[in-house]
Amino acid sequence: MSLRGVRSFHPAVMLLYYVVIIIGFMLSQHPIFLMVGVGFLLCTQFLFDKGRQLKSWLGMILTLAAFILILTPIFNRRGNHILFYLFENQVMLEAVIQGIMIAFTLVGILLAFISLNQIITQDRFLYIFARISPQWALLSMLAVRFVPLLKRRLMEIEEIQKVRGFSVTKGSLKERVKNGMLFLQALLTGSLEQSIQTADSMSARGYGQQKRSHYQAFPMKKQDAYALLFILITGCLMIFGWWLEDSVLSLLPVLETTKLEQRECLFLANWALLLAFPVWAEGKEVAKWKYYLQKI
Amino acid sequence: MARSKKVLLILSFTLLLLLCCFPLVINKHYMLVSLLIMGVSFIPFMYRFSKQKLTSRELVMLAILGSIAAVSRVPFASLPSVQPTTFVIIAAALVLGPQSGFVIGVLAAIVSNLFLGQGPWTPWQMYAWGMIGLMAGLLRNTLFMKQMLGRCIYGFLIGFLFGWFMNLWFVVSMINQISWKEILLYYSASFYFDLAHAISNVVFLLLFSNAWIKIIKRFKTKYGLFE
Repeated sequence: MSLRGVRSFHPAVMLLYYVVIIIGFMLSQHPIFLMVGVGFLLCTQFLFDKGRQLKSWLGMILTLAAFILILTPIFNRRGNHILFYLFENQVMLEAVIQGIMIAFTLVGILLAFISLNQIITQDRFLYIFARISPQWALLSMLAVRFVPLLKRRLMEIEEIQKVRGFSVTKGSLKERVKNGMLFLQALLTGSLEQSIQTADSMSARGYGQQKRSHYQAFPMKKQDAYALLFILITGCLMIFGWWLEDSVLSLLPVLETTKLEQRECLFLANWALLLAFPVWAEGKEVAKWKYYLQKI
Repeated sequence: MARSKKVLLILSFTLLLLLCCFPLVINKHYMLVSLLIMGVSFIPFMYRFSKQKLTSRELVMLAILGSIAAVSRVPFASLPSVQPTTFVIIAAALVLGPQSGFVIGVLAAIVSNLFLGQGPWTPWQMYAWGMIGLMAGLLRNTLFMKQMLGRCIYGFLIGFLFGWFMNLWFVVSMINQISWKEILLYYSASFYFDLAHAISNVVFLLLFSNAWIKIIKRFKTKYGLFE
């Protein structure tokens, strides 16, 4: 399968990109910055798969956001602007803004993780991992490989035990828990014995004889170098903006207006540029596709 | 080797303490600081294992135990918040020691997150399960852990501590000025789940820890692993 769009970039570059984005969400505590960030990430989601992946997470994200939006103003009483009274407790404007910012930060981070999971799939994740620590990566790969095998074995055990009248879905809670554990115990005993075969086969093929080499699945290309440069420059600018406190809305002691000054607009543009990277990479492909379709 | 291990342990426990106390001192950027502290206390153990020479049998055994811990959720999918992952990690650590307990805990977190999707909770989960294995392994030769009662107490406490620790990723990301009232509220929201986890740990340890320890120990002696 040939790769296109964001997925054609080197996984390490994309991982760095998402680390920078997540740091950006944590540092840029300004409603406009955060909203722009969430907007771009939503765009990215729609370009990836028309928001299908997003839908399965939507419930959790909205619950968390609502939780924060409601609770922060109730508990946070620091501020100078009273909005209204709720059960004789004052609700502060500062606290409401704070709640909005925290909610957007969290939503942004979760959205970043959703698209991270789509771009850096299991194999890519293990590839990056293998470069950092071969031993851990080998161990994780072995374990990942065992999961489907163990699930299959567990299913077999369940089928067999069902015939004997043991089940995890029927009976009292105590019986179900006990049966479930007995199945796992059978799985443990069987799998440990069988694992010796796997291990001996590994030894026979030369594990531990000499240093392992690894297959270079993802070579660095020219476009990766450009992307890396882009991420580093915009990322540094983003951190610089935070350091100057241009991308931070100060709530206390005095509430700053949410309107942006000139210099702040520059940093917002930089932040938007950083966020637009996957949108550009994916959107380019979509535009090309539409263009060629029209030509036919 | 023994001395460096002790230094390592003291170091990471101080850092863990720091992690729990820093909100009282620093009142900005909890998320960043907590991730930083966690990383620093975590990496020595990760590094130590990555430099260790293991035979293929030991490696595969660790992998099997890690993936059994991750898969063990499957038969209990119909029972909410009952999952024996923690139990499997404790049982394995009690036989194989702190290093292997740590590795199995971290591995279980990595594997289950690779299948369920990474999230901001991934590092917290790795840390929590890794430390559960490490602690159980450290205490394995004490009188406390040799008795069933001690094991059950450990399982109960760990059930709550795990839940509280896993709440942290959420709490530190959302509270800019920590107040005890808020923290209590968030933690009471998760009380039922933590209680279920703690009780299921106790039940599993009570009913099955002897059998599991026997199985793993027998296997270890039979093939002369982790000598």
